[in-house]
Amino acid sequence: MKLAIVVQRYGAEINGGAELHARYIAEHLSRHADVEVLTTCARDYVTWRDEYPAGVEPVHGVPVRRFRVDHERDVHVFGRLSDHVFGHQHSYLDELRWLDAEGPKSTALLSHVRAADATYDYVLYFSYRYFHVYHGVRATPTRAILVPTAERDEAVGLAISPRIFRGVRALMYNSPEERRMIQAVSGNYDVPGVVVGIGSEIAKQSQGDRFRQKYGIAGPFALYVGRIDQNKGCRELFSFYLNGLQALPRSLRLVLIGTAVLPIPDHPRIHHLGFLEDQDKFDALAAADLLVMPSYYESLSMVALEAWAVGKPVLANGKCEVLRGQCIRSKAGLYYETPAEFIETLRTIAESRTLNAALGANGRQFFQQNYSWPVIEQKYLDMFQRLKEADDQGRARLQPDLREPGFFARRRRTLRPAIDVLAELPSGPVLN
Amino acid sequence: MADFNIRTDAVDVEQIMRQIRARIQEKRGVDYTEQQIQELANVKLERFLDPKGVRSDLVEQFKRRDRKLEPFHLHPEPSHGFDAEMLYGTHRGILRLIRRLLNPILKLFFNPGTVIHALHKQTEINSLYEGQFYFLREKIQQRDEIDVLYYELVHNLVLELTRVGIENRNLKMRLESLSSRMDFDERRARALEGVVQYRAGTGPAREAPPPEPRSFNQTPPPQQPLEPRAQTQPGSAPDEHGVESSTARRRRRRRRGRRGGRGRVPEMTSSGAPIETQSPEDSATPPHGDPTADAALLGDRSEPDFESDSDSGEDEGPDPSAQ
Repeated sequence: MKLAIVVQRYGAEINGGAELHARYIAEHLSRHADVEVLTTCARDYVTWRDEYPAGVEPVHGVPVRRFRVDHERDVHVFGRLSDHVFGHQHSYLDELRWLDAEGPKSTALLSHVRAADATYDYVLYFSYRYFHVYHGVRATPTRAILVPTAERDEAVGLAISPRIFRGVRALMYNSPEERRMIQAVSGNYDVPGVVVGIGSEIAKQSQGDRFRQKYGIAGPFALYVGRIDQNKGCRELFSFYLNGLQALPRSLRLVLIGTAVLPIPDHPRIHHLGFLEDQDKFDALAAADLLVMPSYYESLSMVALEAWAVGKPVLANGKCEVLRGQCIRSKAGLYYETPAEFIETLRTIAESRTLNAALGANGRQFFQQNYSWPVIEQKYLDMFQRLKEADDQGRARLQPDLREPGFFARRRRTLRPAIDVLAELPSGPVLN
Repeated sequence: MADFNIRTDAVDVEQIMRQIRARIQEKRGVDYTEQQIQELANVKLERFLDPKGVRSDLVEQFKRRDRKLEPFHLHPEPSHGFDAEMLYGTHRGILRLIRRLLNPILKLFFNPGTVIHALHKQTEINSLYEGQFYFLREKIQQRDEIDVLYYELVHNLVLELTRVGIENRNLKMRLESLSSRMDFDERRARALEGVVQYRAGTGPAREAPPPEPRSFNQTPPPQQPLEPRAQTQPGSAPDEHGVESSTARRRRRRRRGRRGGRGRVPEMTSSGAPIETQSPEDSATPPHGDPTADAALLGDRSEPDFESDSDSGEDEGPDPSAQ
């Protein structure tokens, strides 16, 4: 079996969510099939500037074929178009312009996908919201499998998105909440789909003492791992934590790991350690009392899964439906929505050893049962088999007509603001 | 393969969350709504953390900003009116002449006077609105500035209210503590009053006691009488820390035996009040507010306490049984 994985950027040092997801899947599926990665030469997700050389190079044993991007992103144009299509009535053409402005636009990559369509059994597209996915799915409708990595953001409400969700052979969802959202917006109930998620490379031996010794952290602490950014809910985290210091155990600290985009409050109980290597990260998880995930938008939090893998409970932002659903389903974490809930849940997890241990044990079991690599790989292989059998038996689903609207139709400003469409979609955790 | 294995273990996250919310509700009572708490949480942290951030000249700022605007008056005459001269006027003489010549012809088609009048009124209305616009703009600017001050004022009030709330709670606790101490002291005072009534020579209904063979001090220094004995009886001398010898203890035990047994079983008066022989200073005062103090005061004492009291000078005090 030959597989192509199409993703916007790819590299051993790229740690973005969807890109890392794609790399892990490529590396693990390469044990079962011939895998080739098709991507751009871009490394920076803001500019999409060509930084890698074009051509084929192996990354961790997987051949990666890179193509040049047509143009870098003009952030002003992209911002203006985003405002327009997200917040105002607009046309289909406006959305195509938005897709073009977002980038990375690589016609060379698309040409290759079209030309080599027959050479791959299946083409796995990552992240529904990019130029190459929209056009690539239309070029390879019978082989396209989409890993949408969709968050609850406005792009889901664009008219181009449901066409992608309906136009693929199968979808590999990250969470039940993501599946419900996509099915509600596109009505693609007949498209085969399975909730898979992603595994993680868990360090074999993580030692909390080593971390404490190396970084001089003593006593209990709550850990945050990720980019320290307002979009990740860090400003709210600082605010809640500092306002509730009086009610928290005196020795409970907040330790932050990751690159800081946001100014971090100068307080003796907040420690920022910067970006750490994986081993240190897992040592920190082993040493921590719990992991805090303040993000509002997550399609699947890998760091939460890693915390559960090492048996640590998670305290998540309850306004993120995916994280909240994960906490309830796994029975391995609590969630908060208000400052008072943040303090009370944090205090409960930090003070109650029994609850902490029970949540951690559940987390470890949840990870093993749903996110260990053999489970993930098997779900992909099962899907390939299911599609193959459908093809062999001639009962493959008829692909919908993916032609774009006509000249006048695509210029008609009849599409609703994406934000209005998004607001009508069901929300909250999926518990069944 | 199933999508997910939903766990059915004992930990029920939603149940825990309900309990946590109930606990929060219980703690917080009706002080703040969720919305208010959210707003408080969003207030800039710097203000809370840094008292310098709170302006001390807030009142001055208010006074300065609260100046009255001049009331809006309509100008009686617009500065620039509209008349026939503006309609036909030009700096070119020849053109003005032609217009004047053709004016009668123009008046055959419509009445320019009405148009001029309408335009004149419109000019007046425009200037009126312009004046109102500037007035309102200034008013809004002033309101915006005052809003900022109000925001700061409300913020400070919330801060103070929180402080006062905490202080109030502390004071309540202190009041409870003081109240329990006062109860204890009252009971103690009542008990001691009973002792004073039956002390020899203090009761008005009693006769004067016979003269004592030796001088009687109510609270003699404990070490003074022991030292001479130590000199006369070397074998029963206290050690260097003032610990009495076994002879002295034997003597006390004999005396207790005469009183009617070991331990403190005080004689009771007809009113039921215990007869105490100690001075108020000698009675072991339990810690204020300690609920066990009452029981201790009413004679329910353990042996070590009793021994301790005896060592503190009872040896040299008057023997109640002698009375």
